[in-house]
Amino acid sequence: MGAAGGATGAMIEATGLGKRYGSTVAVAGLDLAIEAGSCVALVGANGSGKSTTLQMLSTLLPPSAGTARIAGCDLVRDPVGVRAAIGMVFQETALDRTLTVGDNLRFAGALYDLPADQVARRSQELLALFELEGRRATPVAALSGGMRRAVDIARGMLHQPSVLLLDEPTTGLDLGNRRSVWRHLERARREQRTTLLLATHLLDEAADCDLVIFMQGGQVIGQGRPLELIAALGAWVLELAGSPLATAPFAHLGEHRRDGARLSIMLRDAAFSLASLDQAALARLDTVTLRRPMLEDVYQRQFGGTSPA
Amino acid sequence: MILRPITAILARELVRTLRQRGRLLSALVRPLLWLMVIGGGVETMMPAGGSSYRSFMAPGLLAMTLLFGAMLAALSLVHDRESGVLRMLLIAPIHHAWIVLARIASATAVALMQGILLLLMLAAAGYARASWDFALLAFALIMTAWAAACLGMLVAVIVRGLENYAMIMNVVIFPVFFLSGALYPLHGLPSYLRLASSINPFSYGVDLLKHATPGTIAGASTAAGAATDFSLATDIAVLGGFIVGATLIACWRFCQDGTITGLLRPPHRARAAG
Repeated sequence: MGAAGGATGAMIEATGLGKRYGSTVAVAGLDLAIEAGSCVALVGANGSGKSTTLQMLSTLLPPSAGTARIAGCDLVRDPVGVRAAIGMVFQETALDRTLTVGDNLRFAGALYDLPADQVARRSQELLALFELEGRRATPVAALSGGMRRAVDIARGMLHQPSVLLLDEPTTGLDLGNRRSVWRHLERARREQRTTLLLATHLLDEAADCDLVIFMQGGQVIGQGRPLELIAALGAWVLELAGSPLATAPFAHLGEHRRDGARLSIMLRDAAFSLASLDQAALARLDTVTLRRPMLEDVYQRQFGGTSPA
Repeated sequence: MILRPITAILARELVRTLRQRGRLLSALVRPLLWLMVIGGGVETMMPAGGSSYRSFMAPGLLAMTLLFGAMLAALSLVHDRESGVLRMLLIAPIHHAWIVLARIASATAVALMQGILLLLMLAAAGYARASWDFALLAFALIMTAWAAACLGMLVAVIVRGLENYAMIMNVVIFPVFFLSGALYPLHGLPSYLRLASSINPFSYGVDLLKHATPGTIAGASTAAGAATDFSLATDIAVLGGFIVGATLIACWRFCQDGTITGLLRPPHRARAAG
Protein backbone atom coordinates (compact mmCIF):
# COMPACT_ATOMS: atom_id res chain seq x y z
CA MET A 1 0.00 0.00 0.00
CA GLY A 2 1.15 3.50 -0.71
CA ALA A 3 2.06 5.98 1.98
CA ALA A 4 0.76 9.20 0.48
CA GLY A 5 0.13 11.87 3.06
CA GLY A 6 -2.44 14.62 3.16
CA ALA A 7 -2.18 18.24 2.08
CA THR A 8 -0.15 19.14 5.17
CA GLY A 9 2.07 16.09 4.82
CA ALA A 10 0.38 14.40 7.74
CA MET A 11 -0.76 10.81 7.29
CA ILE A 12 -3.72 11.31 9.63
CA GLU A 13 -5.32 14.75 9.84
CA ALA A 14 -8.46 15.62 11.76
CA THR A 15 -10.06 18.98 12.38
CA GLY A 16 -12.85 19.35 14.89
CA LEU A 17 -13.76 15.68 14.53
CA GLY A 18 -16.73 14.82 16.70
CA LYS A 19 -19.30 12.13 17.33
CA ARG A 20 -22.59 12.65 19.07
CA TYR A 21 -25.34 10.17 19.95
CA GLY A 22 -28.41 12.28 20.60
CA SER A 23 -27.45 14.48 23.53
CA THR A 24 -24.43 12.31 24.44
CA VAL A 25 -21.11 13.57 23.17
CA ALA A 26 -18.74 10.65 22.53
CA VAL A 27 -15.96 12.70 20.92
CA ALA A 28 -15.77 16.48 20.71
CA GLY A 29 -13.61 18.69 18.51
CA LEU A 30 -10.68 16.35 18.02
CA ASP A 31 -7.71 17.81 16.14
CA LEU A 32 -4.96 15.50 14.94
CA ALA A 33 -1.91 15.82 12.71
CA ILE A 34 0.05 12.60 12.71
CA GLU A 35 3.13 12.25 10.54
CA ALA A 36 3.82 9.14 8.47
CA GLY A 37 5.78 6.54 10.38
CA SER A 38 4.96 7.88 13.81
CA CYS A 39 3.32 6.09 16.68
CA VAL A 40 0.59 7.85 18.65
CA ALA A 41 -1.30 6.53 21.66
CA LEU A 42 -4.77 7.58 22.74
CA VAL A 43 -4.95 7.06 26.48
CA GLY A 44 -8.00 7.36 28.68
CA ALA A 45 -10.48 5.47 30.80
CA ASN A 46 -13.50 3.57 29.41
CA GLY A 47 -15.91 5.98 27.75
CA SER A 48 -13.23 8.58 27.08
CA GLY A 49 -13.75 8.39 23.30
CA LYS A 50 -10.66 6.43 22.23
CA SER A 51 -12.47 3.57 20.48
CA THR A 52 -15.03 5.93 18.97
CA THR A 53 -12.17 7.97 17.49
CA LEU A 54 -10.65 4.86 15.93
CA GLN A 55 -14.02 3.75 14.60
CA MET A 56 -14.55 7.13 12.96
CA LEU A 57 -11.07 7.07 11.44
CA SER A 58 -11.71 3.57 10.09
CA THR A 59 -14.98 4.82 8.47
CA LEU A 60 -17.09 2.47 10.60
CA LEU A 61 -18.76 5.38 12.34
CA PRO A 62 -19.73 8.51 10.45
CA PRO A 63 -18.54 11.64 12.24
CA SER A 64 -21.18 14.09 13.45
CA ALA A 65 -18.83 17.03 13.07
CA GLY A 66 -15.48 18.01 11.62
CA THR A 67 -13.36 16.52 8.88
CA ALA A 68 -10.54 14.00 8.67
CA ARG A 69 -8.19 12.66 6.04
CA ILE A 70 -6.11 9.54 6.05
CA ALA A 71 -3.35 9.10 3.48
CA GLY A 72 -4.89 12.06 1.66
CA CYS A 73 -8.36 10.49 1.43
CA ASP A 74 -11.32 12.25 2.99
CA LEU A 75 -13.14 10.14 5.56
CA VAL A 76 -16.61 10.98 4.28
CA ARG A 77 -16.01 11.61 0.56
CA ASP A 78 -13.64 8.71 -0.07
CA PRO A 79 -14.24 6.01 2.56
CA VAL A 80 -13.07 3.25 0.22
CA GLY A 81 -9.75 5.09 -0.27
CA VAL A 82 -9.39 5.44 3.50
CA ARG A 83 -10.14 1.76 4.03
CA ALA A 84 -7.56 0.79 1.41
CA ALA A 85 -4.92 2.70 3.36
CA ILE A 86 -5.69 1.40 6.81
CA GLY A 87 -5.52 -1.80 8.76
CA MET A 88 -7.58 -2.16 11.89
CA VAL A 89 -7.21 -4.39 14.90
CA PHE A 90 -10.41 -4.31 16.93
CA GLN A 91 -10.87 -4.53 20.66
CA GLU A 92 -12.78 -7.79 20.14
CA THR A 93 -11.94 -10.43 17.59
CA ALA A 94 -13.13 -10.02 14.01
CA LEU A 95 -12.17 -13.56 12.99
CA ASP A 96 -14.60 -16.20 11.75
CA ARG A 97 -14.47 -18.87 14.43
CA THR A 98 -15.90 -21.52 12.14
CA LEU A 99 -12.95 -21.21 9.73
CA THR A 100 -9.32 -22.16 10.21
CA VAL A 101 -6.53 -19.68 10.82
CA GLY A 102 -5.37 -20.09 7.21
CA ASP A 103 -8.90 -19.63 5.84
CA ASN A 104 -9.34 -16.44 7.85
CA LEU A 105 -6.09 -14.96 6.57
CA ARG A 106 -6.90 -15.98 2.99
CA PHE A 107 -10.33 -14.38 3.35
CA ALA A 108 -8.88 -11.18 4.80
CA GLY A 109 -6.26 -11.03 2.05
CA ALA A 110 -8.86 -11.51 -0.68
CA LEU A 111 -10.94 -8.66 0.77
CA TYR A 112 -7.92 -6.44 0.07
CA ASP A 113 -7.57 -7.91 -3.42
CA LEU A 114 -4.21 -9.49 -2.60
CA PRO A 115 -3.10 -12.29 -4.95
CA ALA A 116 -3.08 -15.75 -3.34
CA ASP A 117 0.72 -16.12 -3.44
CA GLN A 118 1.18 -12.78 -1.68
CA VAL A 119 -1.35 -13.78 1.00
CA ALA A 120 0.45 -17.10 1.48
CA ARG A 121 3.83 -15.38 1.87
CA ARG A 122 2.55 -12.74 4.28
CA SER A 123 0.57 -15.31 6.29
CA GLN A 124 3.68 -17.45 6.61
CA GLU A 125 5.69 -14.45 7.77
CA LEU A 126 3.12 -13.27 10.30
CA LEU A 127 2.28 -16.70 11.67
CA ALA A 128 6.01 -17.32 12.17
CA LEU A 129 6.24 -14.03 14.02
CA PHE A 130 3.62 -15.20 16.51
CA GLU A 131 4.93 -18.77 16.55
CA LEU A 132 1.65 -20.02 15.09
CA GLU A 133 2.99 -21.74 11.93
CA GLY A 134 1.64 -25.08 13.13
CA ARG A 135 -1.83 -23.64 13.67
CA ARG A 136 -2.63 -22.75 10.07
CA ALA A 137 -5.19 -25.57 9.77
CA THR A 138 -6.62 -25.10 13.29
CA PRO A 139 -10.15 -23.68 13.53
CA VAL A 140 -10.07 -20.29 15.23
CA ALA A 141 -12.61 -21.58 17.78
CA ALA A 142 -9.98 -24.03 19.03
CA LEU A 143 -7.34 -21.35 19.71
CA SER A 144 -6.64 -19.80 23.10
CA GLY A 145 -7.65 -16.16 23.62
CA GLY A 146 -4.05 -15.00 23.23
CA MET A 147 -3.51 -16.97 20.02
CA ARG A 148 -6.76 -15.62 18.60
CA ARG A 149 -5.59 -12.11 19.40
CA ALA A 150 -2.30 -12.76 17.64
CA VAL A 151 -4.12 -14.01 14.52
CA ASP A 152 -6.34 -10.94 14.69
CA ILE A 153 -3.27 -8.70 14.67
CA ALA A 154 -1.80 -10.73 11.80
CA ARG A 155 -5.06 -10.16 9.91
CA GLY A 156 -4.83 -6.40 10.45
CA MET A 157 -1.22 -6.30 9.22
CA LEU A 158 -1.61 -8.75 6.33
CA HIS A 159 -1.98 -6.15 3.58
CA GLN A 160 0.83 -3.94 4.90
CA PRO A 161 -1.35 -0.87 5.45
CA SER A 162 0.06 2.66 5.55
CA VAL A 163 -1.88 3.32 8.73
CA LEU A 164 -2.58 0.77 11.42
CA LEU A 165 -5.37 1.55 13.87
CA LEU A 166 -5.08 -0.59 16.98
CA ASP A 167 -7.79 -0.75 19.61
CA GLU A 168 -6.27 -2.29 22.74
CA PRO A 169 -4.02 -4.42 20.50
CA THR A 170 -2.21 -6.54 23.05
CA THR A 171 -5.04 -7.19 25.49
CA GLY A 172 -5.05 -10.90 26.28
CA LEU A 173 -1.55 -11.55 24.96
CA ASP A 174 1.18 -12.97 27.16
CA LEU A 175 4.37 -11.00 27.65
CA GLY A 176 6.26 -12.92 24.95
CA ASN A 177 3.57 -12.28 22.34
CA ARG A 178 3.23 -8.65 23.39
CA ARG A 179 6.93 -8.18 22.74
CA SER A 180 6.64 -9.98 19.37
CA VAL A 181 3.79 -7.71 18.34
CA TRP A 182 5.72 -4.59 19.23
CA ARG A 183 8.90 -5.84 17.59
CA HIS A 184 6.95 -6.35 14.38
CA LEU A 185 5.13 -3.03 14.66
CA GLU A 186 8.46 -1.29 15.18
CA ARG A 187 9.87 -3.05 12.13
CA ALA A 188 6.85 -2.00 10.08
CA ARG A 189 7.36 1.59 11.19
CA ARG A 190 11.05 1.50 10.42
CA GLU A 191 10.92 -0.30 7.07
CA GLN A 192 7.55 0.75 5.64
CA ARG A 193 6.92 3.97 7.57
CA THR A 194 3.64 2.51 8.83
CA THR A 195 1.78 5.01 10.96
CA LEU A 196 0.44 3.58 14.21
CA LEU A 197 -2.49 5.00 16.14
CA LEU A 198 -3.46 2.97 19.14
CA ALA A 199 -5.99 3.19 21.90
CA THR A 200 -4.58 1.63 25.01
CA HIS A 201 -4.92 1.23 28.72
CA LEU A 202 -1.34 0.05 29.02
CA LEU A 203 0.80 3.03 29.91
CA ASP A 204 4.07 1.17 29.38
CA GLU A 205 3.02 0.69 25.73
CA ALA A 206 2.01 4.32 25.42
CA ALA A 207 5.36 5.38 26.91
CA ASP A 208 7.16 3.92 23.87
CA CYS A 209 5.08 6.01 21.43
CA ASP A 210 6.15 9.31 19.86
CA LEU A 211 3.09 11.12 21.16
CA VAL A 212 0.56 10.43 23.89
CA ILE A 213 -2.90 12.00 23.75
CA PHE A 214 -4.90 11.93 26.94
CA MET A 215 -8.68 11.80 26.49
CA GLN A 216 -11.50 12.27 28.93
CA GLY A 217 -15.21 12.60 28.26
CA GLY A 218 -14.57 12.64 24.51
CA GLN A 219 -12.10 15.50 24.71
CA VAL A 220 -8.35 15.79 24.51
CA ILE A 221 -7.20 17.07 27.86
CA GLY A 222 -3.48 16.89 27.28
CA GLN A 223 -0.83 15.59 24.95
CA GLY A 224 2.88 15.48 24.49
CA ARG A 225 5.96 13.39 23.93
CA PRO A 226 6.17 10.81 26.74
CA LEU A 227 9.76 11.65 27.70
CA GLU A 228 9.01 15.37 27.84
CA LEU A 229 5.84 14.82 29.86
CA ILE A 230 7.73 12.59 32.29
CA ALA A 231 10.69 15.01 32.55
CA ALA A 232 8.29 17.85 33.39
CA LEU A 233 7.31 16.03 36.57
CA GLY A 234 10.79 16.43 38.10
CA ALA A 235 13.73 14.14 38.76
CA TRP A 236 12.25 11.87 41.41
CA VAL A 237 9.00 10.59 42.85
CA LEU A 238 8.86 9.82 46.54
CA GLU A 239 6.23 7.25 47.44
CA LEU A 240 5.20 6.88 51.03
CA ALA A 241 2.80 4.32 52.45
CA GLY A 242 1.56 3.94 55.96
CA SER A 243 -1.49 3.85 58.13
CA PRO A 244 -2.17 6.36 59.44
CA LEU A 245 -0.40 8.52 56.87
CA ALA A 246 0.01 12.21 57.60
CA THR A 247 0.44 14.46 54.54
CA ALA A 248 1.51 17.64 56.32
CA PRO A 249 5.15 16.76 57.15
CA PHE A 250 5.84 16.03 53.44
CA ALA A 251 3.61 18.47 51.58
CA HIS A 252 6.36 21.09 51.20
CA LEU A 253 8.51 18.71 49.13
CA GLY A 254 6.51 19.18 45.97
CA GLU A 255 3.27 18.48 44.19
CA HIS A 256 1.68 15.50 45.90
CA ARG A 257 -1.21 13.16 45.34
CA ARG A 258 -2.92 11.01 47.91
CA ASP A 259 -4.37 7.62 46.95
CA GLY A 260 -5.72 5.92 50.07
CA ALA A 261 -2.81 4.98 52.29
CA ARG A 262 -0.26 5.97 49.64
CA LEU A 263 1.22 9.40 49.06
CA SER A 264 3.19 10.22 45.89
CA ILE A 265 5.29 13.37 45.83
CA MET A 266 6.92 14.85 42.72
CA LEU A 267 10.14 16.12 44.21
CA ARG A 268 11.11 19.63 43.22
CA ASP A 269 14.65 19.26 44.50
CA ALA A 270 16.78 16.95 42.34
CA ALA A 271 19.34 16.73 45.15
CA PHE A 272 16.75 15.53 47.62
CA SER A 273 17.91 13.45 50.59
CA LEU A 274 15.83 11.36 52.97
CA ALA A 275 17.89 12.83 55.80
CA SER A 276 16.19 16.16 55.23
CA LEU A 277 12.78 14.74 56.21
CA ASP A 278 11.01 14.78 59.56
CA GLN A 279 12.52 11.57 60.96
CA ALA A 280 9.69 11.01 63.44
CA ALA A 281 7.06 11.16 60.67
CA LEU A 282 9.27 8.96 58.51
CA ALA A 283 9.54 6.35 61.25
CA ARG A 284 5.75 5.93 61.31
CA LEU A 285 5.64 4.87 57.62
CA ASP A 286 5.48 1.27 56.38
CA THR A 287 7.33 1.84 53.10
CA VAL A 288 9.37 4.64 51.55
CA THR A 289 10.23 4.39 47.84
CA LEU A 290 12.28 6.77 45.76
CA ARG A 291 11.94 6.21 42.02
CA ARG A 292 12.08 7.95 38.67
CA PRO A 293 8.79 9.39 37.33
CA MET A 294 6.82 7.29 34.83
CA LEU A 295 4.01 7.93 32.36
CA GLU A 296 1.63 6.58 34.98
CA ASP A 297 2.51 9.60 37.14
CA VAL A 298 1.69 11.87 34.19
CA TYR A 299 -1.62 10.08 33.73
CA GLN A 300 -2.50 10.32 37.40
CA ARG A 301 -1.59 13.97 37.41
CA GLN A 302 -3.87 14.56 34.41
CA PHE A 303 -6.82 12.53 35.65
CA GLY A 304 -6.31 12.02 39.37
CA GLY A 305 -6.98 8.53 40.78
CA THR A 306 -5.35 5.41 39.46
CA SER A 307 -4.03 4.39 36.05
CA PRO A 308 -6.53 3.29 33.37
CA ALA A 309 -5.39 -0.35 33.37
CA MET B 1 -10.38 -4.98 -7.80
CA ILE B 2 -13.91 -5.94 -6.79
CA LEU B 3 -14.01 -9.48 -8.16
CA ARG B 4 -11.64 -11.07 -5.64
CA PRO B 5 -13.41 -9.70 -2.52
CA ILE B 6 -16.83 -10.69 -3.92
CA THR B 7 -15.57 -14.18 -4.76
CA ALA B 8 -14.06 -14.46 -1.28
CA ILE B 9 -17.37 -13.58 0.42
CA LEU B 10 -19.16 -16.11 -1.78
CA ALA B 11 -16.56 -18.83 -1.23
CA ARG B 12 -16.59 -18.31 2.53
CA GLU B 13 -20.33 -18.98 2.71
CA LEU B 14 -20.03 -22.09 0.55
CA VAL B 15 -17.11 -23.42 2.62
CA ARG B 16 -19.06 -22.78 5.82
CA THR B 17 -22.10 -24.59 4.42
CA LEU B 18 -20.08 -27.60 3.30
CA ARG B 19 -18.33 -27.79 6.67
CA GLN B 20 -21.59 -27.56 8.61
CA ARG B 21 -22.79 -30.97 7.50
CA GLY B 22 -25.60 -30.97 10.06
CA ARG B 23 -27.05 -27.84 8.46
CA LEU B 24 -26.86 -29.42 5.01
CA LEU B 25 -28.37 -32.67 6.23
CA SER B 26 -31.26 -30.99 8.04
CA ALA B 27 -31.96 -28.92 4.92
CA LEU B 28 -32.59 -32.20 3.07
CA VAL B 29 -34.29 -34.08 5.89
CA ARG B 30 -36.94 -31.37 6.37
CA PRO B 31 -38.55 -31.65 2.89
CA LEU B 32 -38.25 -35.42 2.88
CA LEU B 33 -40.09 -35.54 6.21
CA TRP B 34 -42.82 -33.37 4.73
CA LEU B 35 -42.97 -35.56 1.66
CA MET B 36 -43.21 -38.84 3.54
CA VAL B 37 -45.16 -37.84 6.65
CA ILE B 38 -47.45 -34.98 5.57
CA GLY B 39 -47.67 -36.15 1.96
CA GLY B 40 -48.36 -39.74 2.98
CA GLY B 41 -50.90 -38.64 5.59
CA VAL B 42 -52.84 -36.33 3.27
CA GLU B 43 -52.94 -38.97 0.55
CA THR B 44 -54.88 -41.29 2.87
CA MET B 45 -57.72 -38.72 2.81
CA MET B 46 -57.77 -38.52 -0.98
CA PRO B 47 -59.99 -40.80 -3.06
CA ALA B 48 -58.31 -43.95 -4.27
CA GLY B 49 -57.01 -43.71 -7.82
CA GLY B 50 -57.06 -39.89 -7.69
CA SER B 51 -54.22 -37.40 -7.65
CA SER B 52 -50.88 -38.07 -6.03
CA TYR B 53 -50.47 -35.37 -3.40
CA ARG B 54 -46.82 -36.28 -2.98
CA SER B 55 -46.19 -35.61 -6.66
CA PHE B 56 -48.00 -32.28 -6.28
CA MET B 57 -45.73 -31.44 -3.31
CA ALA B 58 -42.49 -32.00 -5.26
CA PRO B 59 -42.15 -28.42 -6.63
CA GLY B 60 -43.42 -27.03 -3.32
CA LEU B 61 -40.76 -28.92 -1.41
CA LEU B 62 -38.10 -27.70 -3.80
CA ALA B 63 -39.37 -24.21 -3.06
CA MET B 64 -39.29 -24.94 0.69
CA THR B 65 -35.65 -26.00 0.48
CA LEU B 66 -34.75 -22.89 -1.49
CA LEU B 67 -36.64 -20.64 0.93
CA PHE B 68 -35.14 -22.06 4.12
CA GLY B 69 -31.67 -22.46 2.60
CA ALA B 70 -31.52 -18.93 1.23
CA MET B 71 -33.16 -17.26 4.21
CA LEU B 72 -30.87 -18.95 6.73
CA ALA B 73 -27.77 -18.24 4.64
CA ALA B 74 -28.78 -14.58 4.32
CA LEU B 75 -29.55 -14.38 8.01
CA SER B 76 -26.00 -15.50 8.80
CA LEU B 77 -25.24 -11.80 8.31
CA VAL B 78 -26.86 -11.30 11.71
CA HIS B 79 -24.57 -13.96 13.16
CA ASP B 80 -21.58 -12.25 11.54
CA ARG B 81 -22.64 -9.01 13.18
CA GLU B 82 -22.89 -10.64 16.59
CA SER B 83 -19.60 -12.52 16.30
CA GLY B 84 -17.74 -9.44 15.04
CA VAL B 85 -16.83 -10.92 11.63
CA LEU B 86 -18.89 -8.26 9.89
CA ARG B 87 -16.34 -5.65 10.96
CA MET B 88 -13.74 -7.45 8.84
CA LEU B 89 -16.03 -6.91 5.86
CA LEU B 90 -16.95 -3.35 6.77
CA ILE B 91 -13.32 -2.17 6.81
CA ALA B 92 -12.49 -3.85 3.49
CA PRO B 93 -11.83 -1.32 0.71
CA ILE B 94 -15.09 -1.95 -1.13
CA HIS B 95 -18.37 -0.08 -1.17
CA HIS B 96 -20.65 -1.56 1.48
CA ALA B 97 -23.35 -2.26 -1.12
CA TRP B 98 -21.03 -4.92 -2.56
CA ILE B 99 -21.23 -6.78 0.75
CA VAL B 100 -25.01 -7.01 0.38
CA LEU B 101 -24.76 -8.09 -3.26
CA ALA B 102 -22.14 -10.72 -2.45
CA ARG B 103 -24.19 -12.04 0.45
CA ILE B 104 -27.29 -12.28 -1.73
CA ALA B 105 -25.23 -14.18 -4.31
CA SER B 106 -23.82 -16.52 -1.68
CA ALA B 107 -27.24 -17.17 -0.11
CA THR B 108 -28.61 -17.90 -3.59
CA ALA B 109 -25.74 -20.30 -4.29
CA VAL B 110 -26.20 -22.11 -0.96
CA ALA B 111 -29.94 -22.49 -1.56
CA LEU B 112 -29.36 -23.72 -5.12
CA MET B 113 -26.87 -26.28 -3.86
CA GLN B 114 -29.46 -27.62 -1.42
CA GLY B 115 -32.24 -27.45 -4.02
CA ILE B 116 -30.22 -29.42 -6.58
CA LEU B 117 -29.39 -32.09 -3.98
CA LEU B 118 -33.10 -32.42 -3.16
CA LEU B 119 -33.99 -32.55 -6.84
CA LEU B 120 -31.59 -35.47 -7.29
CA MET B 121 -33.15 -37.24 -4.30
CA LEU B 122 -36.68 -36.63 -5.66
CA ALA B 123 -35.59 -38.01 -9.02
CA ALA B 124 -34.09 -41.07 -7.34
CA ALA B 125 -37.37 -41.59 -5.46
CA GLY B 126 -39.37 -41.40 -8.68
CA TYR B 127 -40.99 -38.01 -8.16
CA ALA B 128 -39.30 -36.33 -11.15
CA ARG B 129 -40.91 -36.91 -14.53
CA ALA B 130 -39.66 -36.90 -18.08
CA SER B 131 -42.37 -34.33 -18.86
CA TRP B 132 -40.65 -31.71 -16.71
CA ASP B 133 -39.12 -28.76 -18.53
CA PHE B 134 -35.63 -28.93 -17.05
CA ALA B 135 -34.38 -25.71 -18.67
CA LEU B 136 -37.34 -23.82 -17.19
CA LEU B 137 -36.82 -25.69 -13.92
CA ALA B 138 -33.19 -24.50 -13.74
CA PHE B 139 -34.37 -20.93 -14.38
CA ALA B 140 -37.16 -21.30 -11.81
CA LEU B 141 -34.76 -22.66 -9.19
CA ILE B 142 -32.38 -19.74 -9.73
CA MET B 143 -35.13 -17.08 -9.66
CA THR B 144 -36.83 -18.57 -6.59
CA ALA B 145 -33.56 -18.98 -4.67
CA TRP B 146 -32.54 -15.46 -5.63
CA ALA B 147 -35.85 -13.99 -4.47
CA ALA B 148 -35.64 -15.91 -1.18
CA ALA B 149 -32.06 -14.67 -0.66
CA CYS B 150 -33.24 -11.08 -1.24
CA LEU B 151 -36.06 -11.57 1.25
CA GLY B 152 -33.56 -12.99 3.76
CA MET B 153 -31.21 -10.08 3.22
CA LEU B 154 -34.05 -7.59 3.74
CA VAL B 155 -34.76 -9.23 7.09
CA ALA B 156 -31.05 -9.47 7.97
CA VAL B 157 -30.41 -5.74 7.52
CA ILE B 158 -33.41 -4.88 9.67
CA VAL B 159 -33.21 -7.25 12.65
CA ARG B 160 -30.68 -6.50 15.34
CA GLY B 161 -29.93 -9.84 16.95
CA LEU B 162 -30.33 -13.59 16.80
CA GLU B 163 -32.71 -13.46 19.75
CA ASN B 164 -35.25 -12.49 17.09
CA TYR B 165 -34.62 -15.76 15.25
CA ALA B 166 -37.77 -17.54 16.50
CA MET B 167 -39.78 -14.45 15.63
CA ILE B 168 -38.32 -14.42 12.12
CA MET B 169 -39.29 -18.08 11.67
CA ASN B 170 -42.83 -17.48 12.87
CA VAL B 171 -43.49 -14.07 11.38
CA VAL B 172 -41.60 -14.29 8.10
CA ILE B 173 -40.49 -17.74 6.98
CA PHE B 174 -43.53 -19.85 7.90
CA PRO B 175 -46.19 -17.40 6.62
CA VAL B 176 -44.23 -16.88 3.41
CA PHE B 177 -44.05 -20.64 2.93
CA PHE B 178 -47.61 -21.52 3.93
CA LEU B 179 -49.07 -18.72 1.78
CA SER B 180 -47.03 -19.61 -1.28
CA GLY B 181 -49.09 -22.43 -2.73
CA ALA B 182 -46.32 -24.91 -2.01
CA LEU B 183 -48.71 -27.23 -0.18
CA TYR B 184 -52.02 -26.56 -2.00
CA PRO B 185 -53.24 -24.70 -5.08
CA LEU B 186 -54.04 -21.05 -4.36
CA HIS B 187 -57.14 -20.84 -6.56
CA GLY B 188 -59.23 -22.80 -4.05
CA LEU B 189 -58.36 -20.63 -1.06
CA PRO B 190 -60.77 -18.13 0.60
CA SER B 191 -60.46 -14.67 -0.92
CA TYR B 192 -58.52 -13.12 2.00
CA LEU B 193 -55.91 -15.90 1.86
CA ARG B 194 -55.75 -15.61 -1.91
CA LEU B 195 -55.09 -11.90 -1.51
CA ALA B 196 -52.35 -12.55 1.04
CA SER B 197 -50.84 -15.15 -1.29
CA SER B 198 -50.91 -12.81 -4.23
CA ILE B 199 -48.82 -10.20 -2.39
CA ASN B 200 -46.36 -12.85 -1.25
CA PRO B 201 -43.49 -12.74 -3.78
CA PHE B 202 -42.57 -16.31 -2.97
CA SER B 203 -45.94 -17.51 -4.37
CA TYR B 204 -44.63 -16.57 -7.81
CA GLY B 205 -41.47 -18.61 -7.26
CA VAL B 206 -43.51 -21.67 -6.31
CA ASP B 207 -45.76 -21.07 -9.29
CA LEU B 208 -42.76 -20.79 -11.61
CA LEU B 209 -41.53 -24.14 -10.31
CA LYS B 210 -45.00 -25.61 -11.00
CA HIS B 211 -44.82 -24.30 -14.57
CA ALA B 212 -41.57 -26.20 -14.97
CA THR B 213 -42.94 -29.43 -13.49
CA PRO B 214 -46.17 -30.16 -15.36
CA GLY B 215 -48.29 -33.20 -14.70
CA THR B 216 -47.75 -33.32 -10.97
CA ILE B 217 -51.47 -33.67 -10.28
CA ALA B 218 -53.30 -36.04 -12.53
CA GLY B 219 -56.46 -34.51 -13.90
CA ALA B 220 -55.72 -31.06 -12.55
CA SER B 221 -53.21 -29.94 -15.10
CA THR B 222 -53.55 -26.90 -17.25
CA ALA B 223 -52.04 -26.40 -20.64
CA ALA B 224 -48.96 -24.91 -18.99
CA GLY B 225 -48.60 -27.38 -16.17
CA ALA B 226 -50.07 -28.65 -12.95
CA ALA B 227 -52.27 -26.42 -10.87
CA THR B 228 -50.47 -23.18 -11.68
CA ASP B 229 -52.05 -20.00 -10.32
CA PHE B 230 -50.41 -17.28 -12.42
CA SER B 231 -49.08 -16.97 -15.93
CA LEU B 232 -45.41 -17.62 -16.61
CA ALA B 233 -44.90 -13.96 -17.57
CA THR B 234 -46.49 -12.78 -14.31
CA ASP B 235 -44.25 -15.06 -12.26
CA ILE B 236 -41.09 -13.82 -13.99
CA ALA B 237 -42.13 -10.15 -13.83
CA VAL B 238 -43.05 -10.24 -10.13
CA LEU B 239 -39.96 -12.20 -9.10
CA GLY B 240 -37.72 -9.94 -11.17
CA GLY B 241 -39.34 -6.83 -9.73
CA PHE B 242 -39.05 -8.16 -6.20
CA ILE B 243 -35.38 -9.08 -6.66
CA VAL B 244 -34.51 -5.60 -7.96
CA GLY B 245 -36.62 -3.79 -5.33
CA ALA B 246 -35.48 -5.88 -2.37
CA THR B 247 -31.82 -5.62 -3.42
CA LEU B 248 -32.03 -1.84 -3.67
CA ILE B 249 -33.76 -1.51 -0.29
CA ALA B 250 -31.32 -3.92 1.40
CA CYS B 251 -28.31 -2.05 -0.04
CA TRP B 252 -29.73 1.31 0.97
CA ARG B 253 -30.59 0.12 4.45
CA PHE B 254 -27.20 -1.55 4.98
CA CYS B 255 -25.31 1.50 3.80
CA GLN B 256 -27.30 3.85 5.98
CA ASP B 257 -25.20 5.39 8.73
CA GLY B 258 -27.54 4.23 11.45
CA THR B 259 -27.57 0.68 10.19
CA ILE B 260 -23.81 0.50 10.04
CA THR B 261 -23.68 1.80 13.57
CA GLY B 262 -26.15 -0.87 14.58
CA LEU B 263 -24.22 -3.53 12.72
CA LEU B 264 -21.07 -2.47 14.43
CA ARG B 265 -22.34 -2.41 17.95
CA PRO B 266 -25.23 -4.77 18.56
CA PRO B 267 -27.21 -3.38 21.51
CA HIS B 268 -26.90 -6.43 23.77
CA ARG B 269 -23.14 -6.47 23.31
CA ALA B 270 -22.58 -2.77 23.34
CA ARG B 271 -20.41 -1.62 26.15
CA ALA B 272 -18.72 1.61 26.98
CA ALA B 273 -16.37 2.41 24.15
CA GLY B 274 -12.98 3.40 25.45
